[in-house]
Amino acid sequence: MFLTRSEYDRGVNTFSPEGRLFQVEYAIEAIKLGSTTVGVRTNEGVVLAVEKRVQSPLLESSSIEKIMEIDTHLGCAMSGLTADARMMIDHARVTAQNHAFTYDERIKVESVTQAVCDLALRFGESVHDEEALMSRPFGVALLIAGIDELGPQLYHTDPSGTFMRYEAKAIGSGSEAAQSELQDKWYRRMSLLEAQKLTLRVLKQVMEEKLDHHNVQLAQVTPEKGFEILDEVRLKEIIDAM
Amino acid sequence: MSSFNPYTQNGGTILAIAGADFSVVAGDTRQSEGYNIQTRYAPKVFRLTDRAVLAVNGFAADGNMFVKKVKQRLEWYRHAHAKDMPLRSIARLIQTMLYSRRFFPYYVYNILGGIEEDGSGAVYSFDPVGSYERETCRAAGPAQSLLQPFLDNQIYFKNQQPAPGMSHPTHLPLQAVLALVIDSFTSATERHIEVGDGLEMYIILGKGRGLQGLEGVKGVQELTISEDGERIFVVRRELKKD
Amino acid sequence: MEYNGGSVIAMVGKDCVAIASDLRFGNQALGIASNFQRIFPVTDRTYVGLAGLGTDVTTLRERFRYRVNMYTIKEERDIEPQTFAHLVSSTLYEHRFGPYFVEPVIAGLENTSSGSKPFIAAADLIGCLNFAKDFVVAGTASSKLYGLAEGLWEPDLGPEDLFETISQTLLNGVDRDAFSGWGAVVHVITKDRVVTRTLKGRMD
Repeated sequence: MFLTRSEYDRGVNTFSPEGRLFQVEYAIEAIKLGSTTVGVRTNEGVVLAVEKRVQSPLLESSSIEKIMEIDTHLGCAMSGLTADARMMIDHARVTAQNHAFTYDERIKVESVTQAVCDLALRFGESVHDEEALMSRPFGVALLIAGIDELGPQLYHTDPSGTFMRYEAKAIGSGSEAAQSELQDKWYRRMSLLEAQKLTLRVLKQVMEEKLDHHNVQLAQVTPEKGFEILDEVRLKEIIDAM
Repeated sequence: MSSFNPYTQNGGTILAIAGADFSVVAGDTRQSEGYNIQTRYAPKVFRLTDRAVLAVNGFAADGNMFVKKVKQRLEWYRHAHAKDMPLRSIARLIQTMLYSRRFFPYYVYNILGGIEEDGSGAVYSFDPVGSYERETCRAAGPAQSLLQPFLDNQIYFKNQQPAPGMSHPTHLPLQAVLALVIDSFTSATERHIEVGDGLEMYIILGKGRGLQGLEGVKGVQELTISEDGERIFVVRRELKKD
Repeated sequence: MEYNGGSVIAMVGKDCVAIASDLRFGNQALGIASNFQRIFPVTDRTYVGLAGLGTDVTTLRERFRYRVNMYTIKEERDIEPQTFAHLVSSTLYEHRFGPYFVEPVIAGLENTSSGSKPFIAAADLIGCLNFAKDFVVAGTASSKLYGLAEGLWEPDLGPEDLFETISQTLLNGVDRDAFSGWGAVVHVITKDRVVTRTLKGRMD
């Protein structure tokens, strides 16, 4: 795809003659190097699972934060240059709190996703009436999971600022194989427990290391308890039951 | 030495009462300044959505502008979140809009009436800088001191003992509420010079509630189009013009 | 006029009148007494209530007592309520440029050829009389009392119904006024007797 590098791929905001923004496309490529992340939506809630990619036995695996809470009813998992995600998550959190403060209600999942995507193309040089936030696009994709009056929802965002709703989605290095596995095994009336097992099974297939409760993390959003990251004990139970 | 005073009082009085599954918001139509009547018909009660009605009293210029701004925010919300703002959210929004002008306030006493998300009748009342509370009934304006104690006695049954073995009803039927509103305004018109000319009552009915209580009421005009959702009716009456 | 607090109301009924007041005496926001009497008998069938500055209430009570006694001795008859009202008016106007800070309310039964006729009146602090046919109000809760009375009063109420109506008007009115309340008393005057009742109300 990028065999012919041209002079149009250096200027961050420059279109190529074919109408492509190379920097944005390169950013999307960067995500394919990131650790695998999977999300599955069911009628009982949404499940998020990430491969932690523990590079060394000396690494304190609990310090790896790839799933974060946005609000009590919203969470998200990331893949790619995870440091870039901090800005996006902070913006999502502030947006959610501002909404709750102003309207005394929980923000819709789609609305917070839209707010995050509004940041994506604000790179390059500032123009008169709009400040650029950064010099380059974000190098991270997010899976945003939440529950609102329309039920449990899962959204995928990428550096182009596009978001799409999915029933099940995988991103990161093992995403191709993971996605086809999801397509094969996902069905509409899946329970939350079955979704948890499915995400872990999918991760197990694409991960290089052997899956255990130290190198993966599981989270869910349910109507009863909202967003929670499963603790070690519960995670171990589900892994052992697989 | 006198300086420019940005505010003036335009008289008039507003009143709102919440029923179990309906809400009534009323206001007289006289606009005055001191001893002068500026007009016998200046509406102070406005329809915001199919389930929310806002009455504004105090400084008419601020009142009218405030309604315009609230309506604009409701439109923006509809476009951003693909739904109508629930009543509690409109109430919270009004608070933040009023407080944003904490140091040069809108000289307006707002009363918001309508149907809450759970189908119950609701009344929210505000001070000029955004302090607010949900209540069953509230009067505001120059004749507040005349009306509120009457409502305390007739709606909350204050200082009244129920018959032995019985208890006071928590909500009154629509017919009784309309009669109380009309009697309140005729009383206020008698004893307060700034109240009179005409009375406009907005009646908001919950979804599927039917039209009980409106039979036999003359001059009822419907503002809503379909019979499916909440419905809003207006009733106008004459008040003494002296 | 708002220094000590307090309110008075009088209403006309069928062949009866009623006059009522709260019992609070305060120093601005501080409540001092909950037994401050501000309604006084003038004759068997005429009562006067005085809202406003406490010391002037007490002083005028004594001044009216003096003047009514002089009237009774000289005229060898009881003073009629309408005459008493004019006595109140002239007494207050004597101090036109240094007035007593009171709002008097007068209620009684007039002796006419066709029997007892209900009479009420009120005055401002310099003696301007208001002869109302329905009700009169005075004091810190006057605007609340106006609203309630206008809504609750109707003509030709009997003594029991008049008692209920004036009581509800007074109680709900003073409950919305910080400077009135702390107890209430009602006098219902008919041609045979005067019934005085103390009301149970909020003491906050």
